[in-house]
Amino acid sequence: MKISVYRYNPDTDTKPRMQDYEVKTFQGMMLRDALLEVKKQDESFSFRHSCGEGVCGSDGVNVNGRNVLACITPITELKEPIQVRPFPGRPVIRDLVVDMTQFYEQYRAVKPYLVRKDPLPEQEILQSPEERDKLDGLYECILCGCCSTACPSFWWNPEKFHGPAALLQSWRFLADSRDQATEERLDALDGPYKLFRCHSIMNCVEVCPKGLNPTRAIGKIKDLMLDKGV
Amino acid sequence: MSRQASGLMAWVIQRATAVYLALFLSYLLIQLAFNAPVDHAALVAWVSHPVVALGLVLFVPLLLAHAWVGIRDVLLDYVHVLGLRIGLLTLFAFVFIASGLWAFKAIITAGLQG
Amino acid sequence: MQTTRPVFLDLWRIKLPIPAVVSILHRISGVLMLLAIPLAAILFHQALSGPAGFEQVAGILGFWLVKLILLILAWSLLHHLFAGIRYLLLDLGLGLDRPAARQSAWTALIAAVVVLVIGGVLAL
Ligand code: HEM
Ligand code: SF4
Ligand code: SF4
Ligand code: FES
Repeated sequence: MKISVYRYNPDTDTKPRMQDYEVKTFQGMMLRDALLEVKKQDESFSFRHSCGEGVCGSDGVNVNGRNVLACITPITELKEPIQVRPFPGRPVIRDLVVDMTQFYEQYRAVKPYLVRKDPLPEQEILQSPEERDKLDGLYECILCGCCSTACPSFWWNPEKFHGPAALLQSWRFLADSRDQATEERLDALDGPYKLFRCHSIMNCVEVCPKGLNPTRAIGKIKDLMLDKGV
Repeated sequence: MSRQASGLMAWVIQRATAVYLALFLSYLLIQLAFNAPVDHAALVAWVSHPVVALGLVLFVPLLLAHAWVGIRDVLLDYVHVLGLRIGLLTLFAFVFIASGLWAFKAIITAGLQG
Repeated sequence: MQTTRPVFLDLWRIKLPIPAVVSILHRISGVLMLLAIPLAAILFHQALSGPAGFEQVAGILGFWLVKLILLILAWSLLHHLFAGIRYLLLDLGLGLDRPAARQSAWTALIAAVVVLVIGGVLAL
Protein backbone atom coordinates (compact mmCIF):
# COMPACT_ATOMS: atom_id res chain seq x y z
CA MET A 1 0.00 0.00 0.00
CA LYS A 2 1.19 3.48 -0.85
CA ILE A 3 1.05 6.17 1.80
CA SER A 4 1.97 9.76 1.18
CA VAL A 5 2.96 11.88 4.19
CA TYR A 6 3.61 15.55 4.77
CA ARG A 7 7.25 16.23 5.53
CA TYR A 8 8.82 19.34 6.94
CA ASN A 9 12.11 19.64 8.79
CA PRO A 10 12.65 23.16 10.15
CA ASP A 11 16.43 22.74 10.08
CA THR A 12 16.78 21.79 6.43
CA ASP A 13 13.53 22.58 4.59
CA THR A 14 12.22 25.93 3.52
CA LYS A 15 8.95 24.41 2.30
CA PRO A 16 6.92 21.36 3.27
CA ARG A 17 6.65 18.51 0.73
CA MET A 18 4.83 15.18 0.38
CA GLN A 19 6.85 11.97 0.52
CA ASP A 20 5.63 8.52 -0.58
CA TYR A 21 6.27 5.26 1.25
CA GLU A 22 5.38 1.68 0.44
CA VAL A 23 3.91 -0.06 3.49
CA LYS A 24 2.89 -3.72 3.96
CA THR A 25 -0.60 -4.02 5.37
CA PHE A 26 -2.02 -6.55 7.78
CA GLN A 27 -5.44 -7.50 9.06
CA GLY A 28 -6.84 -4.87 11.44
CA MET A 29 -4.13 -2.35 10.60
CA MET A 30 -4.80 1.15 11.81
CA LEU A 31 -3.42 4.34 10.33
CA ARG A 32 -1.12 4.65 13.34
CA ASP A 33 0.42 1.28 12.48
CA ALA A 34 1.08 2.55 8.97
CA LEU A 35 2.75 5.68 10.32
CA LEU A 36 4.87 3.54 12.68
CA GLU A 37 5.89 1.48 9.66
CA VAL A 38 6.92 4.67 7.85
CA LYS A 39 8.91 5.65 10.92
CA LYS A 40 10.66 2.26 10.83
CA GLN A 41 11.66 2.86 7.23
CA ASP A 42 12.62 6.49 7.79
CA GLU A 43 13.86 7.45 11.25
CA SER A 44 13.61 11.17 10.46
CA PHE A 45 9.82 11.07 10.28
CA SER A 46 7.94 12.40 13.35
CA PHE A 47 4.39 12.22 14.57
CA ARG A 48 2.75 12.27 18.00
CA HIS A 49 1.05 9.22 19.48
CA SER A 50 0.83 7.40 22.76
CA CYS A 51 -2.04 5.22 23.95
CA GLY A 52 -2.92 3.54 20.67
CA GLU A 53 -6.57 3.22 21.61
CA GLY A 54 -8.24 6.58 21.14
CA VAL A 55 -7.86 7.74 24.71
CA CYS A 56 -4.92 10.12 24.96
CA GLY A 57 -5.91 12.31 22.02
CA SER A 58 -2.37 12.90 20.80
CA ASP A 59 -2.37 11.43 17.29
CA GLY A 60 -4.85 13.63 15.49
CA VAL A 61 -3.94 14.09 11.82
CA ASN A 62 -5.63 15.11 8.60
CA VAL A 63 -6.11 12.12 6.29
CA ASN A 64 -7.48 12.58 2.80
CA GLY A 65 -8.86 15.92 3.94
CA ARG A 66 -10.48 14.75 7.17
CA ASN A 67 -9.31 15.07 10.77
CA VAL A 68 -9.05 11.71 12.58
CA LEU A 69 -7.23 9.94 15.38
CA ALA A 70 -4.72 7.73 13.56
CA CYS A 71 -4.88 4.91 16.12
CA ILE A 72 -8.59 4.21 15.69
CA THR A 73 -8.81 4.74 11.93
CA PRO A 74 -8.66 1.42 10.05
CA ILE A 75 -6.69 1.81 6.84
CA THR A 76 -9.35 -0.22 5.04
CA GLU A 77 -11.66 2.77 5.51
CA LEU A 78 -9.27 5.06 3.66
CA LYS A 79 -9.21 5.58 -0.09
CA GLU A 80 -5.79 5.14 -1.72
CA PRO A 81 -3.56 7.01 -2.22
CA ILE A 82 -3.64 7.79 1.49
CA GLN A 83 -2.46 11.31 2.08
CA VAL A 84 -1.57 12.23 5.64
CA ARG A 85 -1.13 15.87 6.59
CA PRO A 86 -0.95 17.75 9.88
CA PHE A 87 -4.02 19.41 11.41
CA PRO A 88 -5.17 22.34 9.26
CA GLY A 89 -4.42 25.86 10.38
CA ARG A 90 -1.81 24.98 13.01
CA PRO A 91 1.85 26.01 12.72
CA VAL A 92 3.90 22.93 11.82
CA ILE A 93 6.78 22.17 14.16
CA ARG A 94 7.97 19.16 12.18
CA ASP A 95 6.26 16.70 9.83
CA LEU A 96 2.88 15.87 11.40
CA VAL A 97 3.68 17.55 14.72
CA VAL A 98 1.85 20.85 15.09
CA ASP A 99 1.87 23.64 17.65
CA MET A 100 -1.40 23.39 19.62
CA THR A 101 -0.64 26.30 21.97
CA GLN A 102 -3.56 28.45 20.85
CA PHE A 103 -5.91 25.50 21.21
CA TYR A 104 -4.83 24.97 24.84
CA GLU A 105 -4.97 28.70 25.55
CA GLN A 106 -8.58 28.76 24.39
CA TYR A 107 -9.28 25.77 26.64
CA ARG A 108 -7.67 27.54 29.59
CA ALA A 109 -9.68 30.68 28.85
CA VAL A 110 -13.03 28.99 29.61
CA LYS A 111 -11.92 28.12 33.17
CA PRO A 112 -12.31 24.35 32.80
CA TYR A 113 -12.77 23.63 36.50
CA LEU A 114 -15.48 24.00 39.13
CA VAL A 115 -15.79 27.44 40.65
CA ARG A 116 -17.30 27.49 44.16
CA LYS A 117 -18.36 30.56 46.07
CA ASP A 118 -19.82 28.75 49.10
CA PRO A 119 -17.28 27.43 51.53
CA LEU A 120 -16.19 23.94 50.52
CA PRO A 121 -17.95 21.18 52.48
CA GLU A 122 -16.07 18.70 54.64
CA GLN A 123 -16.83 15.88 52.22
CA GLU A 124 -17.69 15.79 48.51
CA ILE A 125 -20.22 18.15 46.91
CA LEU A 126 -23.30 16.06 46.32
CA GLN A 127 -24.96 15.71 42.94
CA SER A 128 -28.15 13.83 42.07
CA PRO A 129 -28.06 11.15 39.34
CA GLU A 130 -30.17 13.45 37.12
CA GLU A 131 -27.73 16.31 37.59
CA ARG A 132 -24.85 14.00 36.81
CA ASP A 133 -26.58 12.82 33.63
CA LYS A 134 -26.36 16.35 32.25
CA LEU A 135 -22.60 15.92 31.92
CA ASP A 136 -22.90 12.94 29.60
CA GLY A 137 -21.68 13.79 26.12
CA LEU A 138 -19.49 16.53 27.59
CA TYR A 139 -16.98 15.02 29.99
CA GLU A 140 -15.83 12.40 27.47
CA CYS A 141 -13.85 14.95 25.43
CA ILE A 142 -10.18 13.96 25.18
CA LEU A 143 -9.01 17.35 23.85
CA CYS A 144 -7.62 15.81 20.70
CA GLY A 145 -8.33 18.99 18.74
CA CYS A 146 -9.86 17.23 15.71
CA CYS A 147 -12.89 19.51 15.98
CA SER A 148 -11.34 22.93 16.50
CA THR A 149 -8.77 22.42 13.75
CA ALA A 150 -11.58 21.44 11.36
CA CYS A 151 -13.58 24.55 12.21
CA PRO A 152 -13.32 27.37 9.65
CA SER A 153 -14.11 29.97 12.28
CA PHE A 154 -11.13 28.71 14.30
CA TRP A 155 -8.91 28.85 11.20
CA TRP A 156 -9.69 32.55 10.71
CA ASN A 157 -9.62 33.65 14.35
CA PRO A 158 -7.74 31.11 16.52
CA GLU A 159 -6.59 33.78 18.93
CA LYS A 160 -10.08 35.21 19.50
CA PHE A 161 -12.65 32.44 18.90
CA HIS A 162 -12.65 29.76 21.61
CA GLY A 163 -13.42 27.00 19.12
CA PRO A 164 -15.67 23.94 19.55
CA ALA A 165 -13.52 21.96 22.01
CA ALA A 166 -13.19 24.83 24.51
CA LEU A 167 -16.86 25.78 24.12
CA LEU A 168 -17.94 22.18 24.75
CA GLN A 169 -15.95 22.36 27.99
CA SER A 170 -17.42 25.76 28.79
CA TRP A 171 -20.87 24.17 28.63
CA ARG A 172 -19.59 21.16 30.58
CA PHE A 173 -19.02 23.46 33.56
CA LEU A 174 -22.06 25.67 32.97
CA ALA A 175 -24.17 22.50 33.02
CA ASP A 176 -22.59 21.21 36.23
CA SER A 177 -24.88 21.67 39.23
CA ARG A 178 -21.83 22.08 41.48
CA ASP A 179 -20.47 25.08 39.61
CA GLN A 180 -21.37 28.54 40.91
CA ALA A 181 -19.96 30.88 38.29
CA THR A 182 -22.74 30.84 35.67
CA GLU A 183 -23.05 34.62 35.41
CA GLU A 184 -19.32 35.19 35.18
CA ARG A 185 -18.89 32.45 32.60
CA LEU A 186 -21.69 33.85 30.42
CA ASP A 187 -20.43 37.42 30.75
CA ALA A 188 -16.97 36.29 29.71
CA LEU A 189 -18.37 34.69 26.56
CA ASP A 190 -20.11 37.77 25.21
CA GLY A 191 -18.79 39.93 22.43
CA PRO A 192 -18.57 39.03 18.77
CA TYR A 193 -15.65 36.61 18.97
CA LYS A 194 -15.31 34.06 21.77
CA LEU A 195 -18.63 32.28 21.22
CA PHE A 196 -20.37 34.09 18.41
CA ARG A 197 -17.89 33.30 15.62
CA CYS A 198 -19.59 29.91 15.50
CA HIS A 199 -21.82 29.76 12.41
CA SER A 200 -23.21 26.24 12.97
CA ILE A 201 -21.04 24.88 10.18
CA MET A 202 -20.86 21.61 12.16
CA ASN A 203 -17.48 20.45 10.88
CA CYS A 204 -16.75 19.81 14.55
CA VAL A 205 -19.62 17.33 14.79
CA GLU A 206 -18.53 15.72 11.52
CA VAL A 207 -15.08 14.82 12.83
CA CYS A 208 -15.27 14.27 16.60
CA PRO A 209 -13.83 10.75 17.15
CA LYS A 210 -15.80 10.46 20.39
CA GLY A 211 -19.10 11.29 18.69
CA LEU A 212 -19.57 14.44 20.75
CA ASN A 213 -21.60 17.41 19.59
CA PRO A 214 -20.01 20.83 20.24
CA THR A 215 -22.65 22.57 18.10
CA ARG A 216 -25.37 21.38 20.46
CA ALA A 217 -23.33 22.56 23.47
CA ILE A 218 -22.86 25.97 21.83
CA GLY A 219 -26.61 26.17 21.26
CA LYS A 220 -27.24 25.36 24.92
CA ILE A 221 -24.90 28.19 25.95
CA LYS A 222 -26.81 30.61 23.72
CA ASP A 223 -30.12 29.40 25.18
CA LEU A 224 -28.84 30.00 28.69
CA MET A 225 -27.62 33.48 27.71
CA LEU A 226 -31.05 34.30 26.31
CA ASP A 227 -32.67 32.91 29.42
CA LYS A 228 -30.52 35.01 31.73
CA GLY A 229 -30.00 38.08 29.59
CA VAL A 230 -33.12 38.99 27.67
CA MET B 1 -24.54 44.46 31.23
CA SER B 2 -21.89 43.62 28.70
CA ARG B 3 -23.72 40.47 27.66
CA GLN B 4 -26.21 42.52 25.68
CA ALA B 5 -23.66 44.19 23.45
CA SER B 6 -22.25 43.02 20.16
CA GLY B 7 -22.40 39.26 20.60
CA LEU B 8 -25.76 38.01 21.76
CA MET B 9 -27.71 41.04 20.55
CA ALA B 10 -26.36 40.86 17.01
CA TRP B 11 -27.16 37.15 16.97
CA VAL B 12 -30.73 37.74 18.16
CA ILE B 13 -31.26 40.52 15.59
CA GLN B 14 -30.04 38.19 12.84
CA ARG B 15 -32.58 35.52 13.85
CA ALA B 16 -35.52 37.83 14.48
CA THR B 17 -35.10 39.67 11.17
CA ALA B 18 -34.59 36.35 9.37
CA VAL B 19 -38.09 35.21 10.35
CA TYR B 20 -39.73 38.28 8.87
CA LEU B 21 -37.52 38.17 5.80
CA ALA B 22 -38.37 34.54 5.16
CA LEU B 23 -42.10 35.31 5.20
CA PHE B 24 -42.05 38.57 3.28
CA LEU B 25 -39.50 37.50 0.66
CA SER B 26 -41.47 34.30 -0.02
CA TYR B 27 -44.51 36.47 -0.72
CA LEU B 28 -42.45 38.88 -2.81
CA LEU B 29 -40.86 36.11 -4.86
CA ILE B 30 -44.21 34.45 -5.64
CA GLN B 31 -45.80 37.81 -6.45
CA LEU B 32 -42.99 38.87 -8.80
CA ALA B 33 -42.70 35.48 -10.48
CA PHE B 34 -46.39 34.95 -11.20
CA ASN B 35 -48.13 38.30 -10.95
CA ALA B 36 -45.58 40.98 -11.74
CA PRO B 37 -47.07 44.45 -12.31
CA VAL B 38 -47.33 45.03 -16.06
CA ASP B 39 -47.19 48.82 -16.08
CA HIS B 40 -46.54 51.81 -13.85
CA ALA B 41 -50.16 52.15 -12.75
CA ALA B 42 -50.28 48.50 -11.68
CA LEU B 43 -47.02 48.87 -9.76
CA VAL B 44 -48.26 51.99 -7.95
CA ALA B 45 -51.55 50.27 -7.13
CA TRP B 46 -49.67 47.28 -5.71
CA VAL B 47 -47.12 49.27 -3.69
CA SER B 48 -49.74 51.65 -2.28
CA HIS B 49 -52.05 48.86 -1.16
CA PRO B 50 -52.05 49.36 2.63
CA VAL B 51 -50.96 45.83 3.50
CA VAL B 52 -48.19 45.76 0.91
CA ALA B 53 -47.04 49.26 1.85
CA LEU B 54 -46.87 48.31 5.52
CA GLY B 55 -45.03 45.13 4.61
CA LEU B 56 -42.50 47.09 2.57
CA VAL B 57 -42.00 49.78 5.20
CA LEU B 58 -41.15 47.05 7.71
CA PHE B 59 -39.11 45.08 5.19
CA VAL B 60 -36.63 47.83 4.37
CA PRO B 61 -35.14 48.45 7.84
CA LEU B 62 -35.30 44.76 8.83
CA LEU B 63 -33.52 43.74 5.63
CA LEU B 64 -30.83 46.36 6.19
CA ALA B 65 -30.34 45.32 9.81
CA HIS B 66 -30.02 41.68 8.72
CA ALA B 67 -27.63 42.53 5.92
CA TRP B 68 -25.53 44.74 8.18
CA VAL B 69 -25.12 42.10 10.89
CA GLY B 70 -24.41 39.64 8.07
CA ILE B 71 -21.66 41.64 6.42
CA ARG B 72 -20.20 42.43 9.82
CA ASP B 73 -19.96 38.69 10.52
CA VAL B 74 -18.25 38.11 7.20
CA LEU B 75 -15.78 40.95 7.72
CA LEU B 76 -15.01 39.86 11.31
CA ASP B 77 -14.03 36.47 9.93
CA TYR B 78 -11.87 37.52 7.00
CA VAL B 79 -10.68 41.12 7.37
CA HIS B 80 -8.20 41.35 10.23
CA VAL B 81 -6.78 44.79 9.54
CA LEU B 82 -8.80 46.96 11.91
CA GLY B 83 -8.72 50.13 9.80
CA LEU B 84 -9.81 48.33 6.66
CA ARG B 85 -12.60 46.52 8.48
CA ILE B 86 -13.96 49.72 9.98
CA GLY B 87 -13.67 51.45 6.62
CA LEU B 88 -15.63 48.71 4.88
CA LEU B 89 -18.25 48.59 7.63
CA THR B 90 -18.71 52.34 7.35
CA LEU B 91 -18.99 52.13 3.58
CA PHE B 92 -21.64 49.40 3.82
CA ALA B 93 -23.51 51.35 6.49
CA PHE B 94 -23.65 54.45 4.25
CA VAL B 95 -24.69 52.48 1.17
CA PHE B 96 -27.38 50.65 3.15
CA ILE B 97 -28.77 53.83 4.72
CA ALA B 98 -28.84 55.60 1.37
CA SER B 99 -30.56 52.59 -0.24
CA GLY B 100 -33.11 52.47 2.56
CA LEU B 101 -33.94 56.18 2.34
CA TRP B 102 -34.21 55.97 -1.44
CA ALA B 103 -36.60 53.01 -1.19
CA PHE B 104 -38.66 54.83 1.46
CA LYS B 105 -38.93 57.88 -0.77
CA ALA B 106 -40.22 55.65 -3.58
CA ILE B 107 -42.80 54.02 -1.32
CA ILE B 108 -44.04 57.36 0.03
CA THR B 109 -44.23 58.89 -3.45
CA ALA B 110 -46.25 55.90 -4.63
CA GLY B 111 -48.55 56.30 -1.64
CA LEU B 112 -49.20 59.93 -2.61
CA GLN B 113 -49.87 58.96 -6.23
CA GLY B 114 -52.11 56.01 -5.49
CA MET C 1 3.70 32.96 17.84
CA GLN C 2 6.28 31.65 15.40
CA THR C 3 5.34 32.93 11.99
CA THR C 4 8.10 31.26 10.00
CA ARG C 5 6.49 27.86 10.45
CA PRO C 6 4.46 26.47 7.58
CA VAL C 7 0.73 26.05 8.06
CA PHE C 8 -1.28 23.43 6.23
CA LEU C 9 -4.44 25.17 5.09
CA ASP C 10 -4.87 24.21 1.43
CA LEU C 11 -8.62 24.54 1.37
CA TRP C 12 -8.99 22.39 -1.76
CA ARG C 13 -7.29 19.48 0.04
CA ILE C 14 -9.57 19.63 3.06
CA LYS C 15 -12.81 17.74 2.71
CA LEU C 16 -15.89 19.90 3.06
CA PRO C 17 -18.75 17.88 4.54
CA ILE C 18 -22.11 18.71 2.97
CA PRO C 19 -23.25 20.94 5.87
CA ALA C 20 -20.10 23.01 5.31
CA VAL C 21 -20.86 23.31 1.59
CA VAL C 22 -24.36 24.57 2.37
CA SER C 23 -22.87 26.92 4.92
CA ILE C 24 -20.36 28.55 2.59
CA LEU C 25 -23.03 28.86 -0.11
CA HIS C 26 -25.29 30.50 2.46
CA ARG C 27 -22.59 33.06 3.06
CA ILE C 28 -21.87 33.61 -0.65
CA SER C 29 -25.58 33.94 -1.45
CA GLY C 30 -26.03 36.44 1.38
CA VAL C 31 -23.17 38.59 0.15
CA LEU C 32 -24.41 38.47 -3.46
CA MET C 33 -27.85 39.70 -2.41
CA LEU C 34 -26.36 42.33 -0.19
CA LEU C 35 -24.32 43.74 -3.06
CA ALA C 36 -27.54 44.00 -5.06
CA ILE C 37 -29.30 46.13 -2.42
CA PRO C 38 -28.29 49.58 -3.78
CA LEU C 39 -29.11 48.54 -7.34
CA ALA C 40 -32.48 47.19 -6.27
CA ALA C 41 -33.24 50.45 -4.45
CA ILE C 42 -32.35 52.52 -7.52
CA LEU C 43 -34.45 50.36 -9.87
CA PHE C 44 -37.39 50.28 -7.46
CA HIS C 45 -37.33 54.07 -7.16
CA GLN C 46 -37.01 54.50 -10.92
CA ALA C 47 -39.86 52.11 -11.72
CA LEU C 48 -42.15 54.02 -9.35
CA SER C 49 -41.11 57.46 -10.66
CA GLY C 50 -43.56 57.41 -13.60
CA PRO C 51 -44.63 55.44 -16.68
CA ALA C 52 -41.41 56.38 -18.52
CA GLY C 53 -39.30 55.22 -15.58
CA PHE C 54 -41.22 51.94 -15.41
CA GLU C 55 -40.62 51.24 -19.10
CA GLN C 56 -36.93 52.06 -18.67
CA VAL C 57 -36.58 49.57 -15.79
CA ALA C 58 -38.57 46.95 -17.69
CA GLY C 59 -36.13 47.43 -20.55
CA ILE C 60 -33.09 47.03 -18.30
CA LEU C 61 -34.53 43.89 -16.67
CA GLY C 62 -35.20 42.40 -20.10
CA PHE C 63 -31.54 42.57 -21.13
CA TRP C 64 -30.01 39.06 -21.22
CA LEU C 65 -27.05 39.84 -18.97
CA VAL C 66 -29.37 41.38 -16.39
CA LYS C 67 -31.60 38.32 -16.68
CA LEU C 68 -28.61 36.12 -15.90
CA ILE C 69 -27.86 38.22 -12.83
CA LEU C 70 -31.51 37.97 -11.78
CA LEU C 71 -31.31 34.19 -12.15
CA ILE C 72 -28.23 34.06 -9.89
CA LEU C 73 -29.98 36.32 -7.38
CA ALA C 74 -33.08 34.13 -7.48
CA TRP C 75 -30.95 31.07 -6.69
CA SER C 76 -29.18 33.06 -3.97
CA LEU C 77 -32.45 33.99 -2.37
CA LEU C 78 -33.81 30.44 -2.51
CA HIS C 79 -30.63 28.83 -1.20
CA HIS C 80 -30.26 31.44 1.54
CA LEU C 81 -33.92 31.00 2.43
CA PHE C 82 -33.81 27.21 2.74
CA ALA C 83 -30.39 27.14 4.39
CA GLY C 84 -31.52 30.00 6.65
CA ILE C 85 -34.61 28.07 7.76
CA ARG C 86 -32.31 25.11 8.45
CA TYR C 87 -30.15 27.34 10.68
CA LEU C 88 -33.16 28.62 12.55
CA LEU C 89 -34.22 25.02 13.20
CA LEU C 90 -30.70 24.13 14.36
CA ASP C 91 -30.88 27.12 16.72
CA LEU C 92 -34.09 25.68 18.10
CA GLY C 93 -32.17 22.48 18.79
CA LEU C 94 -33.72 20.55 15.91
CA GLY C 95 -31.65 18.32 13.62
CA LEU C 96 -28.36 18.69 15.47
CA ASP C 97 -27.30 15.05 15.22
CA ARG C 98 -24.86 14.27 12.45
CA PRO C 99 -27.15 12.21 10.18
CA ALA C 100 -29.99 14.72 10.53
CA ALA C 101 -27.67 17.66 9.88
CA ARG C 102 -26.33 16.03 6.74
CA GLN C 103 -29.81 15.21 5.52
CA SER C 104 -31.19 18.70 6.10
CA ALA C 105 -28.15 20.18 4.35
CA TRP C 106 -28.82 18.05 1.26
CA THR C 107 -32.48 18.99 1.43
CA ALA C 108 -31.75 22.72 1.52
CA LEU C 109 -29.19 22.45 -1.27
CA ILE C 110 -31.47 20.49 -3.58
CA ALA C 111 -34.67 22.32 -2.68
CA ALA C 112 -33.25 25.64 -3.84
CA VAL C 113 -32.35 24.25 -7.26
CA VAL C 114 -35.61 22.35 -7.65
CA VAL C 115 -37.76 25.33 -6.68
CA LEU C 116 -35.72 27.56 -8.99
CA VAL C 117 -36.26 25.23 -11.95
CA ILE C 118 -39.96 24.60 -11.26
CA GLY C 119 -40.62 28.26 -10.58
CA GLY C 120 -38.72 29.28 -13.69
CA VAL C 121 -40.67 26.86 -15.89
CA LEU C 122 -44.03 27.95 -14.45
CA ALA C 123 -43.28 31.67 -14.60
CA LEU C 124 -42.03 31.71 -18.20
C1 HEM D 1 -35.01 34.89 2.92
C2 HEM D 1 -34.98 35.08 4.18
C3 HEM D 1 -33.70 35.01 4.96
C4 HEM D 1 -33.45 34.13 5.96
C5 HEM D 1 -34.37 33.04 6.49
C6 HEM D 1 -32.11 34.41 6.42
C7 HEM D 1 -31.50 33.75 7.45
C8 HEM D 1 -30.22 33.98 7.87
C9 HEM D 1 -29.61 33.39 9.02
C10 HEM D 1 -30.27 32.41 9.98
C11 HEM D 1 -28.36 33.86 9.10
C12 HEM D 1 -27.32 33.53 10.17
C13 HEM D 1 -26.33 32.55 9.71
C14 HEM D 1 -25.16 32.45 10.61
O1 HEM D 1 -25.14 33.02 11.70
O2 HEM D 1 -24.22 31.79 10.21
C15 HEM D 1 -28.15 34.72 7.98
C16 HEM D 1 -26.97 35.36 7.68
C17 HEM D 1 -26.80 36.25 6.66
N1 HEM D 1 -27.79 36.75 5.82
FE1 HEM D 1 -29.66 36.09 5.74
N2 HEM D 1 -31.58 35.43 5.68
C18 HEM D 1 -32.54 35.84 4.78
C19 HEM D 1 -32.42 36.85 3.85
C20 HEM D 1 -31.25 37.54 3.59
C21 HEM D 1 -31.10 38.55 2.58
C22 HEM D 1 -32.19 39.03 1.63
C23 HEM D 1 -29.79 38.96 2.63
C24 HEM D 1 -29.04 39.97 1.83
C25 HEM D 1 -29.51 41.02 1.29
C26 HEM D 1 -29.14 38.22 3.66
C27 HEM D 1 -27.82 38.33 3.99
C28 HEM D 1 -27.18 37.62 4.95
C29 HEM D 1 -25.77 37.67 5.20
C30 HEM D 1 -24.73 38.49 4.44
C31 HEM D 1 -25.53 36.81 6.27
C32 HEM D 1 -24.19 36.49 6.93
C33 HEM D 1 -23.68 35.23 6.35
C34 HEM D 1 -22.68 34.55 7.21
O3 HEM D 1 -22.39 34.97 8.34
O4 HEM D 1 -22.14 33.54 6.74
N3 HEM D 1 -30.05 37.36 4.24
N4 HEM D 1 -29.30 34.80 7.24
S1 SF4 E 1 -14.93 17.47 21.22
FE1 SF4 E 1 -14.30 15.60 20.21
S2 SF4 E 1 -12.98 16.29 18.53
FE2 SF4 E 1 -13.17 17.97 19.94
S3 SF4 E 1 -11.39 17.82 21.26
FE3 SF4 E 1 -13.09 16.76 22.29
S4 SF4 E 1 -12.91 14.64 21.66
FE4 SF4 E 1 -11.61 15.82 20.26
S1 SF4 F 1 -20.45 24.45 14.46
FE1 SF4 F 1 -19.35 26.22 15.21
S2 SF4 F 1 -17.72 25.37 16.37
FE2 SF4 F 1 -18.48 23.68 15.10
S3 SF4 F 1 -17.18 23.75 13.29
FE3 SF4 F 1 -18.90 25.05 12.95
S4 SF4 F 1 -18.34 27.12 13.45
FE4 SF4 F 1 -16.89 25.68 14.35
S1 FES G 1 -2.61 7.39 20.27
FE1 FES G 1 -3.84 8.06 21.93
S2 FES G 1 -5.62 8.74 20.89
FE2 FES G 1 -4.49 7.84 19.27
